[in-house]
Amino acid sequence: MNLELIKTIEQTLYREARLLDQERYKEWVGMLTEDIHYHMPGIETRYRRDKTEQVHDLTRMAFYNDDLEDLKKRLRRLETGTAWSEDPATRYTHMITNIEVVPTEKEDEVLVYSNFLAYRNRNEKDQDTLIGNREDIWRKTAEGYKLAKRMIILKQNVLLSKNLNVYL
Amino acid sequence: MKIEKFKDNGRYDSYMNLDEGWLDRRVFWEQSIYDREMEQIFARCWLFVAHDSQIPNPGDFLTTYMGEDGVIVCRQKDNSVKVFLNSCPHRGNKVSFADAGNTRRFVCNYHGWGFGTDGALMGMHEEYCYDAGDIDKSQWGLKQVAKVGNYKGLIFATFDEEAPSLENYLGDFRWYLDMLLDNEEGGTELIGGCIKSVIGANWKFGVENFIGDAYHAGWTHDSGARAMNNGLPFPPIDMKSSYHASMNGHGWEFGTEGVGDLFLLGRPKVMEYYNKIRPKMAERLGEMRSKIFGSVASASIFPNVSFLPGISTFRQWMPKGPAQFELRTWVIVNKNMPDDIKDDVTKGVMQTFGPGGAFEMDDGENWENCTQTNRGVVTRREKLHYRSGISRRIEHPELPGIVYQGQYNDANQRNMYQRWLDLMHAESWKDVPEQYSPRLNGKETMGPKAGFKAG
Repeated sequence: MNLELIKTIEQTLYREARLLDQERYKEWVGMLTEDIHYHMPGIETRYRRDKTEQVHDLTRMAFYNDDLEDLKKRLRRLETGTAWSEDPATRYTHMITNIEVVPTEKEDEVLVYSNFLAYRNRNEKDQDTLIGNREDIWRKTAEGYKLAKRMIILKQNVLLSKNLNVYL
Repeated sequence: MKIEKFKDNGRYDSYMNLDEGWLDRRVFWEQSIYDREMEQIFARCWLFVAHDSQIPNPGDFLTTYMGEDGVIVCRQKDNSVKVFLNSCPHRGNKVSFADAGNTRRFVCNYHGWGFGTDGALMGMHEEYCYDAGDIDKSQWGLKQVAKVGNYKGLIFATFDEEAPSLENYLGDFRWYLDMLLDNEEGGTELIGGCIKSVIGANWKFGVENFIGDAYHAGWTHDSGARAMNNGLPFPPIDMKSSYHASMNGHGWEFGTEGVGDLFLLGRPKVMEYYNKIRPKMAERLGEMRSKIFGSVASASIFPNVSFLPGISTFRQWMPKGPAQFELRTWVIVNKNMPDDIKDDVTKGVMQTFGPGGAFEMDDGENWENCTQTNRGVVTRREKLHYRSGISRRIEHPELPGIVYQGQYNDANQRNMYQRWLDLMHAESWKDVPEQYSPRLNGKETMGPKAGFKAG
């Protein structure tokens, strides 16, 4: 794997994280391909012997199982000016680590593993931390690399937060 | 100002006056009131524990909570369901750590006591350490609940031997529940998986919001409604032909326009589907119920289950202390829906009423602050206003229950707190007063004629 490509992907992930920190969602959507699949399954606690497919079965309950239109719909809420719980704004920091870039069979696509830590703080002292793994497909386009697929595995059974007004 | 120390004297009518229409905020805050709720309400009422579709096969089980008591719900070989405590009678450890699964036995990690799927004690590790007469295994199984019941796929359990039958407990609310559970042949199922989250609020705020609070929707959820439907605001409310109906602490607030909640789901294909089956629905349930289904509506089953017919979120508020609950959410669909419609409903629910949903996000924030402001000793002694629509009670020929006109109303909430009060004070079920005489006792709830006032 060439180092320049790894550097490019790393920089792309960091830029994406910065846009999310700053709630620059229009620009973030610009980093997604038209056929994006953005998926964060809900994962039950089950015994090791239990082979129920929890991650790849797309008919199951999930936090996110969105295409581009679905994501835009969610983001439209912020543009209405009446999303009362978003004002005052939440303060975000996304930390992205453990980046691994792997070639795929398609020349214009790379598989990218990464870990995230997303910290939120609101109002006086409302805060939480979300930690997990991501598995992405980034596709080379005329406008640089764009996110074509993201699978997010959050390491919580019960979401230890009241909501997910955050993209990971 | 003199602040007296809170003393719980077991009389809760000093903390609310439902004829005047107010509640004292301490019912949402005081630990001793919460503890009493666990004994008087959660250890006695019929509580939802599972949907049939979650445990279809013998040995299928799931774990859940009745109040703060952890239980296992397990399908038996004869297709019946048993519900027992998830706690080993030897030292008290949990015997299952999974949310769900299939098993032949439950074995305690501590000393290897093993229990059948019916909860009976089968044996233990190094059984020779018990001499003759030390243990009668037939007496030391996992503690069973008093009764298990099923209404059209919803499995309920109660710890109280004296609880009325599930049919009487639900009462005339069955007429309303049929709109959710029996609007199409084949009944309902839950989509696989369960999304859980934690909200720092009193459990009653969730229940009362769904039981009657149509009022908050147009304001709190203005952003959500516009997000889901290309900038269109919340559908208008018709105060003449929309209602609150409640009985036994359960309640349903609804319009009769047939499309409001379906519109808010933001999935045109789902709207089309229901419009297609609506004539059949009218044959099954009558004209009135076929018009209520899909309208702007929300409902709660006392004490802690809520749902939105049409939007299809189905949820339970699990109390975790006075200032916290765990919210468990599912998607409920008709079993006979085509897969692409089920999928569309599921996605719609996740986008509206999942933790990242356009509607859900604004609710949790409100309820947390409604609860947490009571940290202040002066604040928590203040009243909350619950008088909206107090003089709008009507007798409706087609609608069973205590009915109020106009879905912007606090009526269902007041009646929920009346039931709360009745249960908090009652020594036993025999002392729980009947606030409404049912029309449908022992009668069929299906069909176009059901529910009408006799004579």
